[in-house]
Amino acid sequence: MKRHEVLVIGAGPAGLSAAIEAAKNGMDVAVFDENARPGGQLFKQIHKFFGSKEHHAKERGFNIGKDLLKEARDLGVKVYLDATVMGIYYDKEILVNHNGEVDHFKGDTIVIATGAAENMVSFKGWDKPGVIGAGAAQALMNLQGVQPGEKILMVGSGNVGLVVSFQLLQAGCQVAAVIDAAPRVGGYGVHASKVARTGVPFYMKHTVVEALGEDKVEGAVIAEVDDHFQPIPGTEKTLDVDTICIAVGLSPMSQLADNAGCEMKFLPKKGGNVPVVNEYNETSMDGIFCCGDVAGIEEASSAMLQGKIAGSTASYKNGYIDEDEWQQSVEKYRASLEQLRTGMFAPQNKGRTDMTETDEGIPLSKSLLAKGYVTDEELAEFPACSTKVSGVHPVIECTQNIPCDPCQDACKFGCIKVGSNISKLPVINPEATCTGCGMCIASCSGQAIFLVNEDYEDGFATVALPYEFLPLPQAGDKGKALDRSGKPVCDAEIVSVKSSKVMDMTNILTMKVPVEYAGTARFYRA
Amino acid sequence: MVTVAAEKKKASLIIIGGGVVACATAYNLAKKGMNDIIVLEKKEIGNGGSCRNAGGVRQSARDVRELPLAMYAVSNIWPTLSDELDVDVEYVQRGNLRLGKTEAHIKTLTGITKKSTDAGLDVKMITGDEAREICPYMSDEVIGASWCPTDGHANPLHTTLGFYRKALQAGVTFISGVKVNGIRKYRGRARFVDTDDGVYEGDNILLCAGWESRAIADTVGIELPIIREFSECMVTEMEPDMFPVMLGTAESDFYGGQTKHGSFVMGGMCGMEPYVSEKDRFITNSVTAPCLSRGIIKYFPVLKDVKIIRTWSGWYDVCKDKVPIIDNISEVPGLTIAAGFCGHGFGISPATGLAVSELILDGESHTIDISGLKYDRFRAKA
Amino acid sequence: MTKIVRTAATEPFKPMPDDDMIVCRCEEITKGEIRKAVYDGMSTTNEVKRWLRCGMGLCQGQTCQKNVQSIISRELGLKIPDIGQITGRSPVRPVVMEVFANDVLDVHEEA
Repeated sequence: MKRHEVLVIGAGPAGLSAAIEAAKNGMDVAVFDENARPGGQLFKQIHKFFGSKEHHAKERGFNIGKDLLKEARDLGVKVYLDATVMGIYYDKEILVNHNGEVDHFKGDTIVIATGAAENMVSFKGWDKPGVIGAGAAQALMNLQGVQPGEKILMVGSGNVGLVVSFQLLQAGCQVAAVIDAAPRVGGYGVHASKVARTGVPFYMKHTVVEALGEDKVEGAVIAEVDDHFQPIPGTEKTLDVDTICIAVGLSPMSQLADNAGCEMKFLPKKGGNVPVVNEYNETSMDGIFCCGDVAGIEEASSAMLQGKIAGSTASYKNGYIDEDEWQQSVEKYRASLEQLRTGMFAPQNKGRTDMTETDEGIPLSKSLLAKGYVTDEELAEFPACSTKVSGVHPVIECTQNIPCDPCQDACKFGCIKVGSNISKLPVINPEATCTGCGMCIASCSGQAIFLVNEDYEDGFATVALPYEFLPLPQAGDKGKALDRSGKPVCDAEIVSVKSSKVMDMTNILTMKVPVEYAGTARFYRA
Repeated sequence: MVTVAAEKKKASLIIIGGGVVACATAYNLAKKGMNDIIVLEKKEIGNGGSCRNAGGVRQSARDVRELPLAMYAVSNIWPTLSDELDVDVEYVQRGNLRLGKTEAHIKTLTGITKKSTDAGLDVKMITGDEAREICPYMSDEVIGASWCPTDGHANPLHTTLGFYRKALQAGVTFISGVKVNGIRKYRGRARFVDTDDGVYEGDNILLCAGWESRAIADTVGIELPIIREFSECMVTEMEPDMFPVMLGTAESDFYGGQTKHGSFVMGGMCGMEPYVSEKDRFITNSVTAPCLSRGIIKYFPVLKDVKIIRTWSGWYDVCKDKVPIIDNISEVPGLTIAAGFCGHGFGISPATGLAVSELILDGESHTIDISGLKYDRFRAKA
Repeated sequence: MTKIVRTAATEPFKPMPDDDMIVCRCEEITKGEIRKAVYDGMSTTNEVKRWLRCGMGLCQGQTCQKNVQSIISRELGLKIPDIGQITGRSPVRPVVMEVFANDVLDVHEEA
């Protein structure tokens, strides 16, 4: 029997973090992952993360994955790839299908960090080729470099649907629409806005009723739904698409926890059938931990912290750290986790549709929730969105309480303040002077910061915006400026293009537009 | 259909346990006009051994005391059961091969075969080549087999739930999610059933709750020499139709066959089962499926590339002398027991349902001879 | 388990326009078949699975379980925890028999 003190199942953010924490404290750790490459979903995630510095904010998922993997390996963690854990048996034994043979391992601690699987939705023709999960689409694009299709309907407006829609656009696909049966956009408004401003329409209270086509998807019929999510006859619309991408939520991949004998509970807020875990992420089975999405759908940043808490607790229970050290580390991680679990998207608010204003008392944008973009009138209510300031200055179109604060660190001149509650909306310090460096633009994971200069030239303003598409425009290029809804509103000329290593692939386009469009021009199209 | 609020707690018959025996008995009784029945099930209909078996419908190698049930079922019930239950129970009567690889195996098989022929069953020993003619995928390691052409297999899920559906349609009430704790007498007869959901009351009580029958019978002073024994099965993905025979081996490496759907269902033991039976959790053992796989590949090398998609486990209700107890309990009038089927109860279940219905309605099983299955047959050594 | 009382249906089965929609892809089970199974008395996720095979295919219910459950729970007016979950079983991914047979423990040859 092969033994390691800690057996970690799943080399995603939660599993690697648990492994690192336990190994750091001196434990002998092995990590198993069924995929050929470790990192779980991180390597598909080319977008920048939210949160604070300690949560790897503004770093891109795949880079976080690389760092975690290196750290784990440096600490002597044994990582088995192409190693499928088939079951968890008595006495913390696992069977691993590895390179064509089945290996038995035992551990004193097992950390189940198997993540989640995508939900499917059934409609007429959903079993045709061309209907794919958003995660599968993301893997095709970001791992294999293949476009999942040319014209795509995205079903689901949660963060996965929004992030993948943006990535589809980056990969050169057309996104015909983002639809959702819910009455409001489910994911971060900033994610929706960066999709909407490229011209993608959002249809809330809509569902897909049929995938058209003989042997593959050749179109999609969508329809409005009533309050019971039933399609309303007569509201059908046909969209010309070849791919229907499904992003209707995730379910914890908790079969191994069930198989291991952990007490399970069906909790809709956690995404389905989950192991019951205590405050240390330990299940009802002594020494078996579950962290990350398998214990309840959240996101990668909180998965990493849960992993650390589990790793620390295993270290304590096995005598590798003393009680004080354990409590201190757990408190630190828990405080960090609490920071992430604030704001309107916190797990406890999942599914709520009754929120009408921000923590600051500003009315939430109804347009953002219905169409994916904020209107000029709504934006005027937000303190960091004023465009009537002399000289270059930031405009931060951040209108929801999301736990994220890199913008305040990014500005070395103290222009931007979020404060210690990282879910607060950023405010602009009128005393500080903006130099127009653009670091705030590149640091904003939501791509919601613009630098506006109404005094650029007589009758003309400049708008500097984040740009993550290829080909990259050149200074002197002429094209159209699009507003937040993606509608072309005026001519635009590129006056500068800034890229640097520290901006980490977020380029800054500065475009010249007639001054009356300084407050509306938010995207550039050649 | 379901009604959550219904408060029926009294009936002519309370059946404890919602497995195939309960469903088949309720169906037989309702067919004869007695449908004032409540079936109490702790979990789900057919959740125990009824849905956790490989579907063998076998007469060969049966103890002579339960052979009448098997022979009656095969001759009179199984052939028409799909029509009767209005669902394809997937009954296939294409024989049972019990395989041997060594001379010692052949000796064992010859002995079992003689017992069956003595009891009037058409079963014989055949050579390895004859066995390979019946099932061409078999390896050369097989040197002989016992062959019972009238044996077969069926789908236990459809059979159990098919009896359930028909009984339900005939007016029987089934209540799941109710755990029975004990039986109480009233004026000398078994009458009350104590449950987590209060007291149920019946003129008669049928106890057919697998190995868990023992603890319940204990509450009215009846000791059933039944223990639970762990066993597991594995199921493969769908394969083209390869062979319709049901298989067993002299060495008991595995048993099973291919279902109509195409997947193979193969069960067996690895030798560690008694120790697993001691554990309180209900999961498969880490060495059993590999062990079964090795066994199967030796007999059927062609199956080596087939994917196993799940394994599952269950409890045999093993009775002291390896045949069930099916009887009206004379010491506790009003109580009938059908338990201890030892892992071979499914094949006889349609006949068991008939026999038990007669025990309850008529006081005796007059169609099938079950006189060897009485509850008071157990004796200490002289 | 939640207490569920089952009695015979009193009204005929009512077909719905999207009854022919496939819900379980592996075993090609339609919404109508699931609704009919519930009408016929199958009242938990496992009973419907055992009756129809939805969730017994290659994916072991990973894809369809939630959709099957939502149909059952709607038909019965029960919550999803009341109708139960498919049990998580090993192997959680399909494995070829030859590989399963090749476990590296020392195999004890019985005499």
